[in-house]
Amino acid sequence: MFWRLVRGALFRQKGKMLMVAFTVALGASLATAMLNVMLDVGDKVNQELKAYGANINVIPKEASLLDDLYGVEEDRDASAKYLPESELGNIKTIFWAFNIVDFTPYFDLNVKLGGSADEADAADVKLVGTWFAHHMDLPTGETLDTGMANMKNWWTVEGEWIDDSDTEGVMVGSEAARRAGIGLGDRVTVTLPPHSKQFEVKGIFTSGSDEDSQIYAALPAVQALAGKEGLVKRVEVSALTTPDNELSRRAAQNPKSLSTKEWETWYCTAYVSAICYQIDEAIEGSVSKPIRQVAESEGAILEKTQLLMLLITILSLAGSALGISNLVTAGVMERSKELGLLKAIGGGSLPISMLVLTEIVLTGIIGGACGYFIGLGFAQIIGHSVFGGAINIKPMVIPLVAVLVFLVTVLGSIPAIRLILRLRPTEVLHGR
Amino acid sequence: MYFKMVSGSIIRRRSRMVVAFLAVAIGATILSGLITIYYDIPRQMGQEFRSYGANMILVPEADGAEADGVLTDDTVRQVRGCLDAEELVGMAPYKYEIIKINEQPFMAAGTDLAEAKKTSPYWYVTGNWPVRPDEALIGKEISNAIRIVPGDRFEISGTDANGGIFTAAFQVSGVVETGGSEEAFVFMAGQALFDIIKEPVSYDVVECSVSASSARLGEIRDMIEANTAGVSPRLVQKITQSEGTVLTKLQALVYLVTLVVLVLTMICVATTMMAVVTERRKEIGLRKALGASNGSIIAEFFGEAIFIGILGGILGVVLGYFFAQFVGSNVFGRDISMRPLLIPATLLVSVLITALACIIPVRRATDVDPAVVLKGE
Repeated sequence: MFWRLVRGALFRQKGKMLMVAFTVALGASLATAMLNVMLDVGDKVNQELKAYGANINVIPKEASLLDDLYGVEEDRDASAKYLPESELGNIKTIFWAFNIVDFTPYFDLNVKLGGSADEADAADVKLVGTWFAHHMDLPTGETLDTGMANMKNWWTVEGEWIDDSDTEGVMVGSEAARRAGIGLGDRVTVTLPPHSKQFEVKGIFTSGSDEDSQIYAALPAVQALAGKEGLVKRVEVSALTTPDNELSRRAAQNPKSLSTKEWETWYCTAYVSAICYQIDEAIEGSVSKPIRQVAESEGAILEKTQLLMLLITILSLAGSALGISNLVTAGVMERSKELGLLKAIGGGSLPISMLVLTEIVLTGIIGGACGYFIGLGFAQIIGHSVFGGAINIKPMVIPLVAVLVFLVTVLGSIPAIRLILRLRPTEVLHGR
Repeated sequence: MYFKMVSGSIIRRRSRMVVAFLAVAIGATILSGLITIYYDIPRQMGQEFRSYGANMILVPEADGAEADGVLTDDTVRQVRGCLDAEELVGMAPYKYEIIKINEQPFMAAGTDLAEAKKTSPYWYVTGNWPVRPDEALIGKEISNAIRIVPGDRFEISGTDANGGIFTAAFQVSGVVETGGSEEAFVFMAGQALFDIIKEPVSYDVVECSVSASSARLGEIRDMIEANTAGVSPRLVQKITQSEGTVLTKLQALVYLVTLVVLVLTMICVATTMMAVVTERRKEIGLRKALGASNGSIIAEFFGEAIFIGILGGILGVVLGYFFAQFVGSNVFGRDISMRPLLIPATLLVSVLITALACIIPVRRATDVDPAVVLKGE
């Protein structure tokens, strides 16, 4: 009898029930979309922030940053140590390999630009060998495309990016080009005694930093010029990281000061210091340093964005919850006559309340299921139009939405049920 | 009994009105709250992005090979005068000089340390920032190389502008860690450095951190170029361009979310209003039977909708304001500026939506024959 009544309500009162299901679906779709976007926004914004460049610098243990000091001290062969190019793939095998977005090796040389080295007017310039768009087959069987073209996407390039196999082409910084009077398509000679080599200028770039006074060429060409095949001086790594906290700060100072448990937590969290530590383990004789300017700021901005999205999500969840419960209440009120009749022919308050609740929860489940899939669609629309990529669908959203829909429909029917309890058959049937 | 039935009807009617009113208020809250946030994002997040450091640098104007411009304290003051105090986060002039510590060459940077702290908030300083003129901040590289820690004293030496040899003693107040070339620098107060090297004040570069959109930054650059002689301002492209992209995306995200939330809440409002009106079909039929014209019935419902819309809209604007402020103080730690134009806009949208939502069921009810409605079909 009970189920016949429920079925009757669901099928015969299609219009009203559809309305409730529709509202629940709307609310559920909103909740689904917002939760999915919120849970994924961190990764997405992090990807965008990668435009600020690398956040980890890997250098050989023995090297110092002194060369950065406007080339104050340049020991050519004496103490300069190198990193083996063959070990770079190891960066993608660390615990947080998935968080490594890009990495690019560099081999820089101070060379003379123009004819031979004896010419007094030959200008000193920094020649940097690097990967532009390098394809790698990793030992794990994965493939990876990485390089400068991804990492330095803020460069404005006149001409074109050069190819990695192209050992004859170079890209010249706008400042260097202006000083030496080089134009696109020109041929330039760089000299590092005893070698010298001619390159063709394929592109001129502007970056707004000191890179503008440098010349970039494919890695093998520069290694050959220096006679250091298979070696690199420095690797820039761009990684997705978790904002620093107290633990990671202590770990950054000395990982050995942590207790075993803390150490495990630290090692298994994507803190920039933990990733640095793991890179050190993966590449022999290397020291990784976080570039604070990028790492620190990313953390701050990510935190703000996630908090902002969280608050917006809570607002929209509250909004959809109130919307659903509003309609459920209105829906039950509308049926007071029918419920009054049930009471008049002897139905108790409890069975009637159960009947109404069952009907509404069933409708809510149907609406919620539809809403979930509509919400996935909304999330993908947002992902594609804002970030140009799909939003990752998180399974944990399903129980969250289910609990939300259930709670909201049940809570939304409380005023309605209180109304049923107060209902007097005579009043209702009288019709008012 | 009769009295009870009448009062019950009024209360019941009121509760339905409250339902509709609440629906409108929720919609209006979301509309006004999210749009306020949407408009304030560039300003608020722009401030956050300043933690990336300077986005504009000033260098002395170079005419040909000779540098003929000089950056002095006056120039810094003059440029500062051109900028809005609200926009300018920090402006730190730097003078670089090669010095020796224990006969090893290092780079010393003289700057306005208070401003440097503002332009480079990402510096990790172990110890304190220097306060006295004989205190200095040393880079981690130097600290490791010559093994000095905060509290230690060290001596720098070098050749001054007149060709003489200078030596000066400093106390390490803190060690700075950045992951960049700053780790091999000694930072000290600008005036102290100029006194030691006996040179008139002329900086090599001025780092400015300006909280503004990239378009506005371009304007500022042109303005400084036009108003200040001997200075050539340059934008740090890496910072400005990336900030632009990220901000645009964030704003687009909030915009889309606002749109989706808005459409959904509007549908909610509409369905609630429809339910409320549909319920009163009988009343409409009765009125029609008593001789009311369709127009007057629609007008009356319209009036009710406008009333609910305005009331709900006002509550929504107030709640939305508090929501925006809550977000502002919790996420950004700052006030969010409310746009006055948003108040009438929210009210208008609420009224329009309720009126539109009303009109369909009322139309349907008035279209039917009163006899049919009253008979209860």
